[in-house]
Formats: sequence, structure tokens, C-alpha cells
Amino acid sequence: MSRSIRPTGSGSNAQSTVEVGIKVMDTATDTSNEASRVRVEGVWKVFGKRPEEARQMAEAGAGREEIREAVGSVVAVRDVSFQVSPGETFVVMGLSGSGKSTLVRCVSHLIEPTEGTVEVCGTELTQADSATLRDLRRRKMAMVFQHFGLFPHRTVVDNVAYGLEVQGMDRRERQERARELLGTVGLEGWGDHHPQQLSGGMQQRVGLARALAVDPEVLFFDEPFSALDPLIRRDMQDELIELQLRLRRTLVFITHDFVEALKLADRIAIMSDGAFVQVGTPVEILTNPADDYVRAFTQDAPVVKVLQACSVMRPLGETEIDPGWVRVSLTTPLEAALPHLLGSTDPVLVCDEQEAPVGLLHADEVAGVISPDRR
Amino acid sequence: MTAVDGVRSGIGGLRTGLGGGRARFALVLAASILLVVGFRVLTDSGVFPESWNVGLADPIDRARRWLITNQNLHWLYTVFLNPVTDTIDWGIRRLEALLEWFPWYSYPLFTGLGLWWTRGRVAGVLGLAGVALIGVVGLWEEAFATLALMGVSVLISMVIGIPLGIAAWRSEAVARITRPTLDTMQTMPGFVYLIPFVLLFGFGRVPAMISTVIFALAPVVRLTEVGLRTVPQSTVEASEMFGATERQTLRLVRLPQARPAILAGMNQTTMLAMSMVVIAAFIGAGGLGQVVLQAMQSINVGKASEAGIAIVIMAIILDRFSTGIATADPGQDAKPIRWLAAVTSVGAVVGGFLGFNDFPEALGWRFAPYVNSMADWARDNLYDIGGSGIGTGPFSDFVTLEFVTPLRELLSSGIPWPAMIGIGVVLGLWARGPRLAVGIGAALVAIGFLGMWELSMDTLAQVLIAVAATLAIGVPVGILSSHNDLLRAALKPVLDFFQTIPSFVLLVPVITLFHVGRIPGIIASVVYALPAAVHYTDLGLRRVPVETHEAAESFGATRPQRLRQVEMPLAAPELMVAVNQAIMLILAMVVIAGLVGGGGLGLEAVRGLRRSDAVGRGFEAGIAIVLLAAILDRLTRAVADRLRPPSAV
Repeated sequence: MSRSIRPTGSGSNAQSTVEVGIKVMDTATDTSNEASRVRVEGVWKVFGKRPEEARQMAEAGAGREEIREAVGSVVAVRDVSFQVSPGETFVVMGLSGSGKSTLVRCVSHLIEPTEGTVEVCGTELTQADSATLRDLRRRKMAMVFQHFGLFPHRTVVDNVAYGLEVQGMDRRERQERARELLGTVGLEGWGDHHPQQLSGGMQQRVGLARALAVDPEVLFFDEPFSALDPLIRRDMQDELIELQLRLRRTLVFITHDFVEALKLADRIAIMSDGAFVQVGTPVEILTNPADDYVRAFTQDAPVVKVLQACSVMRPLGETEIDPGWVRVSLTTPLEAALPHLLGSTDPVLVCDEQEAPVGLLHADEVAGVISPDRR
Repeated sequence: MTAVDGVRSGIGGLRTGLGGGRARFALVLAASILLVVGFRVLTDSGVFPESWNVGLADPIDRARRWLITNQNLHWLYTVFLNPVTDTIDWGIRRLEALLEWFPWYSYPLFTGLGLWWTRGRVAGVLGLAGVALIGVVGLWEEAFATLALMGVSVLISMVIGIPLGIAAWRSEAVARITRPTLDTMQTMPGFVYLIPFVLLFGFGRVPAMISTVIFALAPVVRLTEVGLRTVPQSTVEASEMFGATERQTLRLVRLPQARPAILAGMNQTTMLAMSMVVIAAFIGAGGLGQVVLQAMQSINVGKASEAGIAIVIMAIILDRFSTGIATADPGQDAKPIRWLAAVTSVGAVVGGFLGFNDFPEALGWRFAPYVNSMADWARDNLYDIGGSGIGTGPFSDFVTLEFVTPLRELLSSGIPWPAMIGIGVVLGLWARGPRLAVGIGAALVAIGFLGMWELSMDTLAQVLIAVAATLAIGVPVGILSSHNDLLRAALKPVLDFFQTIPSFVLLVPVITLFHVGRIPGIIASVVYALPAAVHYTDLGLRRVPVETHEAAESFGATRPQRLRQVEMPLAAPELMVAVNQAIMLILAMVVIAGLVGGGGLGLEAVRGLRRSDAVGRGFEAGIAIVLLAAILDRLTRAVADRLRPPSAV
């Protein structure tokens, strides 16, 4: 699937509509209702008294401070709607205080939204009784927390097995499954330690294994890597991408790190002051920021490192393939393709895992994506 | 940037700590002087008029007589109180019998193994020797009586306390009731709990146990609640996200994480129960406390020391063991301990059937005579060393004549009673506001109406002098210890030791040196309160942020300057907590010291406990103690709050 995007940058010298391909393997833009794993419709969250009044003020265009002074309550999330398809990674990016953590808690229903509906795996959470909600949580969804939320009194393996224990699985079976998952996240042999004895990165691996143990369809990540060192953070991001390629779960990922969002997302929602400012693929956001607020983020983004061939390529279509063209894989960063594009007038051919050609990178289009002038 | 911030916060603390308050405090002083002079000139009122005594004592005495005669007739007893009494008594008796069934050697062995497991080898050996010593001095049975009473009291405290703590955590409504109740319960000297239960149940172990449970309940409830409240929200959310039910989250996540706090609560409850069980000897609880009490009344210092040491040994073992459970090193190799424990268990059961239950008399040895001769020597030689006018005797006389008596006379009659109440109100107004002012005024008036004015002022004078002495010693030591890790490490075991000793036992050595009277009570209370004063001073000073230190240093402040201008003002709230703690501990001790001639409210309360015709007066004295404790507690806490720098909004 492809989309037409019209760059709007003021200093733009792009005359033509730039056509860019988006990831072939994702179903990000398939937003038909029955297919979406998470559906959020007009969600509001107001903390404090007189929520209805605060909501009406917000609808009339009042800012957060104004409402706080008038009603004494805080509008944390204002009228947010989105859908996430199976296998999609949906990233909500915002600065602290933008309401992103509140939003993910409304969606996972750790807190009750003031207004609006949330549907996970076809079940409407806002209407569900506690037993239904509990059952949904036991089987269909899981969450990874910013400060890990590990149980300090349990060993690593018992942490991972917690969700299974709550489900009522017997001890032997759940421990076996937990140890298996520790292998998946690269922590074999650490099962009998306590979480506090592990480094931050390892602790979050435990958090990830614990979430995966219940084999959920939907995973919520609440700034899972923000407490980690930059290098470890990068490793974890890479591993999550790899894991996601294998497992294809539906991810709702919260972050304050724009680069992280670009790297992981199929689609990004930029959040500010409780509302979504822009929702789109990384390329859309980079090439066509909705306003100055979003543009400010794109300005310093290391685009060539973050964007991969698959997100910038144009679908192959009917193009004749010249065997002399340089070939790259879907996940090749633009950075690595650039020398080839700059060194010749030929396009670069993008191939999938089976070495089959699927798309093309053209120098002018890539330039349109990466040069700040043209954004 | 940080340096400037640091200095600014330091200066801010100084200003709010002292600067702003200074003018207002001058106002308080002026008002007080005006009140005193005014009432002196206008009226001739000194002591609260005796004719205004509402006479609560007589009806209480009548009630007591009625209770005695109806004990076995009225439904209140036959249906309700007697079954309760009998059940508790039966429980204590069964436990005692069980304890006595096991052979004598199993106790030192099990104690040694238990302490080895929780605290290491050295503690194990010391524990073994300690328990053996109790048997050696022939206090085996008394120790069992104390232990049985303790065991039942602690058990009941847990059974009530932990669920109550959970309820208080779960429901804000319950917490709103338990929190102030527990606060009040903890500020009252343990001694006063005995009075109402003696009134209801008479003498014996049952009222002793009930008052022990009430006295010791607070920490386990409070720490269970605190433990549950401080469980990180992230772990609770995680549990919730996995679809755990409320119960599952409580059982699998909250309670296990609250466990260290609950264990700390159990430790504190155990220690409070220990000190109360000893004091409960006053109402015939028996056991080791009874031995101390009787020995002290017959001035048999040796016997009192034996029993006192037995109590201290028991307290320390219980303390080390119950804190050890929470912090036991899981890494150590427990295999030999388990092995020995198994062997000892078999030996204990076999010995129990064979009947080795009495501690063998052949191993007995009494050190009482030696202590007595030492005490005689001390009396003959230290009381007035070489007739030079230097010694404990002249010291007592000096303090009594120069400080205690003048201050007592000043408070009870020198300052007219209305002026005294006025000063209390003004202080309350200054420290917190109208509500505290009215509370203090009402409490003082109530003390007057009870006919306890003079006795209360006597007790207050003793408390104030003891507080002054405690702070004069404790604050400098705390300052030194906050600057010197070595000194702190050296002081820690000493302070821990003194905090573990049940208050009552501290009187024994003091009486040896100072005989009876007000001075030994004051000295014992200073010793009792010193650890708290040192600890909180040290804590307050150590909490001063490093950046603030560095900021002050970067401006070239000398060490004394730093202490005076930055550290002390910032530590002021903690210092006030030290004052508060010291006052409460001292009051508790001064009351008990009534037994050894301390006079004041304590003596009246002790008399009430021991003579059935004085129960009414004892009850009045008890209420006066409670009121006095409440006034002093609220006032010092309000001052501590005032000294806290304004928190960021």
C-alpha cells in the first residue's frame, strides 16, 4: 500500500508530490473495525472535581492551566481516538506531562476513563464487569512498566511466572514455561536470582519475559526503556524489533524519545497537552509535520540512522530491474544506502528476506525525506 | 547553581527556623510575664483551690467496692467478664505448663541455635549463656511466668493487630479512627493502662495481659498499615494487569512486600509487651517483675539485680531474635544448625517425658549477696566520699535543694494557677493555633478540678529538670556522633542496649547509688531518654544535605559557624522530635519512679494500684498523667512542625 504525501515545508523546493512507500509487511493502515486489536474512541480523562465541567471547558478550547484555575481539576487526556491493527506497533510519543502515561492506563484500564470507549480484542472494557476485565487481562493483554514493576520478594523465574500463577497454572508447568521465556530474552541461568541483583537492562528483560509469558495478543509498554542507559536502551530497542518480527504482537508503546518512536513505530501519535497532535507513519511525520511543535522534534532527528529502507522505498510496481543495481534489505538503514545513491544515478533495489526485490530507493525521494530544507 | 540553591535553602531554613519565630516568641514571653505579674498583683491565687475539686475519687471508690461485692453475682461478670478472664487465664496457664514440661537444657540450646541462625555464631553462644544464667540464679519459674504472659499477650496483639492494620490500610474510615487512637495510646505512659483494668478485673494476670495487649498493640497495627501503604504502586499495577484478584494481589504481592515492616512492628510490639509485663508486677502479674518489685521495696538491691539482669537478658534475646528474623542472612549454610536443631528437639521431647524439667539446683549460684555488699560499700563510701561533701548523697541534696524544690514551688504556687493556664494557652496559640490553645487550657483546668494541681506541678518540675539534663548531655553527644562515624559506631550498641532494657529495671542500679527519693527517678529517666535524644540529634544533623554543607563551606564558613547557622536550623525539626521523645520517655519513667519515692502523680497512682481504698485517687492521678502527657506531646509536636521549612507546593 502507498500514500501520497505533499510536503508543506515553507522553504520547500519540492515541486512534485513525493511518493513514498511504507513498510510492506505491516498492516498499519488497515483500520477496518473488526480487524483492530485496540480501538479507542473519544477518550477523556479528567483528574479532580467536576470532570464534566472541565471537559466542556476543554472542548470550548480552554488550556490546561486555565481549566485548573477555574475548576481545580486537570484534563490529562482530551478526546483521543485511535485504532491499532493486529501486529502493528503503535507508538504514542509526548513529553512529560503530555498525558501519555494516563492514556495507556486508560487503555489498559488500570484507571477508568472519564469519557469514551476502549475496546481491546473486541471486548469493550468500559462496559465490562470486573470478571470479564480480569479474564481479558489474564489471557489477552500484558504490560511492561517504566520502573519495571518487578516483585522484589520473588525470584526472577517466579516474577516471570506470576501471570501464569494468577491464572492458576500449577507450579511445575509455570516454572518450566517461565524458564523457557527467560531463554527468549537472553536470561538463561538467572532464574533463581532476585530482581534487585540484576542490572537495569536485565530487569527490564525480566519485565518483558513476564509480559510475554501469558502469551498476550496486545502488549502495552509504558516508557519501558527510559530508565536505562543510552547504550542498553539501544540494545533493548533492537531486540524488541527483532522479537516483534518473530512474534507479530500488537504493541502500544509509550515514549518521550522521538528517535525511539521513529525506530520502533509502524505509526506514531504525537501527543501534547492531553491530545493527539498528529498521527502517522514515521515517514509521514518526518516529511510532513503537522505544526511547529512536531517540526521541532523532526529537526534534530538523526533521520538517516533511524529510517530503514522499507519505510522510504517506493513499491517496485512495473519497473524493469537492472541486474547492476545495488541491493539492500528491508531493514537497512538509509545511512548505509546513501553512498550508493550518491555515487550513481541508479536507484537502489530493496529486497525482502527471501532476496526477492520489493521496492526501489530513488535519490531525489530520499533527499526529500532526509533534508531539513525540504521538510 | 547548586551551591547558591544550597545556601539559599540553608538561609531559608534558618529564617523560618528562628528568625521569623523570634519576634513572636518574645511576644509569648512578654505575655507570660504579664500574666504572672497580673495575677500576683490582682489576686492571691497560688495553688488551684482545693474546694473546686470535683471529687471523682469517691464515686470510683464506691464503684470499686460494688464491683468487688458483685464480682460473682452480676451478669456483667457471670456472662461476660468472668468467661473472658477464665479463658485468658487458662491460656496463660496452659502455655506455662507447656514451657515447664520441656527439660531445662532445651531452652539454652534452642535459644543458642535460634540466635546462631538469625544472628551468627557469637550471638548464639551469648544467647545460650544468657539463658543458662537465668537458671543459674534460680529464676527459672519466674522467667516462665513472664514468658507465658508475654507469649499470650504478643500472640493476641498479632491476632488483633495485623487484621486491624489491614483494615486501616483498606479503609480510610477505619484509618481515621485507628490513627489518632494509636497516637494517643502510644503517648500515654504504660503504667496508667493498669488502673482501669484493675478497677474492672481486680489483681492478677488477666488485667495485666489486657493492659499489655493494649499498650503493645500500636506498632504492629501501624507498621502493618504503613507496610501495605508503601508497597510500590508499580508492582500493584503489574499484578492488576495480569488479572490478579484483590485477594491474590494482597496475598502474593502486597503482604510479602510489607513483610519487613510487619516484622518490625512485631519486634516493637514484643519489646513494648516485655516492658509492660514487667511493670504489670504492680498489679500482681507475677514473674520476674514481681521479684524486682518486692526486692526493691525491701531494698534488697542484690535480689533486684538478679531479676533485673534476667529481664534484660530476656529482652535482648527477644529483640535480637525478632529483628533477626527480618534480616536473617539467607546465604549462610544452615545445614549444621538444622542438624543440631533436630537432635535438640529429639533430646527435648525425650527429656520432657523423663522429667528433667527443673533447672538443676547443683548448677545454682547467687550473686545477690555480692551485689548487696557492693551496694553497702557504695552507700558507705560513695554516698559522701570521706565526709568531704562530695558524693551521691550531697549531689542529690544539691540538685533537690537548688533545682527540684524551687522549680516545684515555682510551678505549683509561685506562678498563680490562672497564670499557669494562661501561659499554656499562649504557648498553644504560638505553637499551632486556637485549637491547641483551647485544648491545653481545658486539660489544665481539668487537672485542677481533679484536685491534682499540686502533684501534677511536682511531676512537671521533675520532667522539666530531667529534660534539661537529657538535652544538655544528649544534644552535644548527638552533634559529636553526627560528625564522627567512629563514635557513632561505638555508641550504637550502647544506645541499643539501653533502649532494649524495660524502663522499670533501670531503677535498680540507680537506687543502689542514690537511695530513694526524687533524684534517682530523675536520673533513671535521664538515662532512659538519652538514647532517643542522641539518636534524633544525630539523625537530624545527618539529614542536612551534602550540598548545603558544601555550599556553606565554599563560602568559607568555619565549623562552628556551619553548625550554628546552617546545620542546627535545618535539623531543628528533628531536634524538636528529640525533645518530644525525651519528654514522653521521661514522663513514663518519672511516673514509675513514684514507687521509689519520686512523689508526684506517680506515687499517687502506685498507691491507687496497691491499696483498694486509694483506687479513686489513683484513677484521678492516672487521668492527670494522661492529660499532662497529651499537653506535652501536642505542644512539642506542634513546635516541631513549626520549625519545619515550608515544603514546596
